[in-house]
Amino acid sequence: MRETKTFSRIPMRTWRWLGVNDLPAPADLDDAIKKEQILVQKGQRDEIVRAFRTGGNYEVQVHLEAGAALHLVLAQLAPQAESCTCRVRVRCAADAKFAATLAEVGARHAAAELFVDLAEEGAGADVWGLYFGDGEQKLDLNYVIRQGGTHTDANMQVRGALKGHAEKIFRGTLDFLEGSSGSVGRENEEVVLLSDGVRNRSVPIMLSHEADVDGHHAVSVGKMDEDRLFYLMSRGLDLAEAQRLVVEASLAPVLSRIPDAALREEIDQFLQERITNG
Amino acid sequence: MRVAEKKKTYVEDIERTLYDIRDADNASYKSETGLTEEIIRDISARKHDPAWMLDFRLKSLATYNSLSLPTWGPDVSELNMDEIVTYVRPNAKMTGNWQEVPTDIKNTFDRLGIPEAEQKQSLAGVGAQYDSEVVYHSIQEDLVKEGVVYTDMETALTEHEDIVKTYFMTLVPPHDHKFAALHGAVWSGGSFVYVPEGVAVKIPLQSYFRLNAAGAGQFEHTLIIVEKGASLHFIEGCSAPKYNVTNLHAGCVELFVKEGARLRYSTIENWSRNMMNLNTKRALVEKDGIIEWVSGSFGSHVSCLYPRSVLRGEGARCEFTGVTFASKGQNLDTGASVIHAAPHTSSTINTRTISKAGGKATYRSAVKVTKHAPFSKCSVNCESLMLDSASRSDTLPVMDIEASEVDVGHEAKIGRISDEAIFYLTSRGIDEDEARAMIVRGFVEPIAKELPLEYAVEMNNLVNMELEGTMG
Repeated sequence: MRETKTFSRIPMRTWRWLGVNDLPAPADLDDAIKKEQILVQKGQRDEIVRAFRTGGNYEVQVHLEAGAALHLVLAQLAPQAESCTCRVRVRCAADAKFAATLAEVGARHAAAELFVDLAEEGAGADVWGLYFGDGEQKLDLNYVIRQGGTHTDANMQVRGALKGHAEKIFRGTLDFLEGSSGSVGRENEEVVLLSDGVRNRSVPIMLSHEADVDGHHAVSVGKMDEDRLFYLMSRGLDLAEAQRLVVEASLAPVLSRIPDAALREEIDQFLQERITNG
Repeated sequence: MRVAEKKKTYVEDIERTLYDIRDADNASYKSETGLTEEIIRDISARKHDPAWMLDFRLKSLATYNSLSLPTWGPDVSELNMDEIVTYVRPNAKMTGNWQEVPTDIKNTFDRLGIPEAEQKQSLAGVGAQYDSEVVYHSIQEDLVKEGVVYTDMETALTEHEDIVKTYFMTLVPPHDHKFAALHGAVWSGGSFVYVPEGVAVKIPLQSYFRLNAAGAGQFEHTLIIVEKGASLHFIEGCSAPKYNVTNLHAGCVELFVKEGARLRYSTIENWSRNMMNLNTKRALVEKDGIIEWVSGSFGSHVSCLYPRSVLRGEGARCEFTGVTFASKGQNLDTGASVIHAAPHTSSTINTRTISKAGGKATYRSAVKVTKHAPFSKCSVNCESLMLDSASRSDTLPVMDIEASEVDVGHEAKIGRISDEAIFYLTSRGIDEDEARAMIVRGFVEPIAKELPLEYAVEMNNLVNMELEGTMG
């Protein structure tokens, strides 16, 4: 039997029976990694869009020099028969601003790790993610923002929807290190569950070794808002159509950040079909 | 320059005089240190266990030896079982007459205010455990007439053997974790409560656990059965004087809340700062039953405490309210877990943690909604306050949802006492130390108001002791 490799780990371990401590690497992938390194020089701004349309292991390393800014857009659209891992590691120098828009919608088994190191004063991370899973899809996500510098600002907003027998684990961590005084962090995950067969695990972690910080996290998991559905159906939409609109509305704040209209349309189309037909 | 230097809170260790008075160790018998089959057989023989209980203990010992320490949570590797005395029989027999309790033990409980509360009729029954054995138990006569049983576990094992055998360690089986297995092997003392169908026990019952012997373990077992439509409020208190060697508390609490029954279980835990508190508490709640946990964790060197509620019957409910205050040298890992296993179940978890002077407070929780629990609701709220940056405060909640027709919400905050709040209070003529203390008291107030008055007062005293002269 092939030994299960660990792709990533939760920053702080907990009970084993919940199965959230380790992210196993998909069994059907080899060790080859497609790597990319991004450097944004001091004071420069950049926007980079990448779409992964085939399975495999992807790794992106980002270094933002002082005062640099980057908006990184990553869309994982691998075919349903394939597996995909994506590791993003970011280091921000003083006053650098990292923004990310991440879409995890493809692959049979997808594992993703995002690690942002706000190592220096005034660095910021504004991370927006969306995911959708249906059928027998497995989504295993681990996002960590480490706040080491003073006056750092972290924002992690994740929206998702699950259908069929999809299984998803989202771990989102804000880690305030000692000396990160004056830092703030917000984390929010909203999940809509569309079928009885889904399994959703949410793990919002907040670690703090600094008193002078302000951290918030919130998670909301549940069925679709019935009032909204009722309103839409009273306007003549059928249930599937109304559901699609409600899910679209919940994912829209993330989707609308994608600057490339063709990619945005592609993801939107992809979602629409799977929400309606799946 | 971005901001002016912010004031830091400076904190000293606290005075625990009341709790730290030690009695001379007058134990009539102590087991050898460590854990062997001979020791288990010896404890069992001295306690006159029935054969099935000896068998249970020996199987638990085998389970203990086969399990490893947890790979998560606080480091408990400094605990050396070869140095722990698992059984200490105090030089006293169980009695229902307070005057018959030996003077040194009586004085200890007098200092802690235990009999006083009973005399004031604010408690319907009192139990007091000293080291490994219960030394005093009483219950109001009218409750006895209604069929309520409140006694020590050893008496229950003799007089209500069938009930004990049916329920004992079924909710917390020994293979659950290493310290549950340890408990199964060496348990001693604790309380047994049986409330018959439809009986409402209007005044709380209270058990107080005191560990006096140095380097010893306390492994009391609490078993409470609240039958259909009945209700009970049970209070447990714990304390121990401080020694320079590690003491261990691996108690076990099993609560059975039957259809339409209601149980409130309140705890103020103030073990000394050399205690490893590795306690396991569980409740099984049937249709329309309610379990309410009120939990204050102030003491111990290391604590791992996460009461679990299993909502097995339709419409069952759980409310958990907890406060944890971790100071110098303390690593308090506390929280709760709820398993929704039936439709229309609901749970609320509301916690506050405070850390200061290098203390580490962790909120850890699990909410599981199984596929058998549609239309269930869960709301979690945890807030953490850090009084200085030498301390740590972590929150690690997990939600595991397998039903779609549910509503699960979680919210957490972490932060410090805001300068604006201090400024407001000082502008109203309150000095800064008092202003900070007021804010901390206000922070724990949602918990304090859930406690019986005496305990709310005790908790406020503990908070004040922690804060006294420490703010600056």
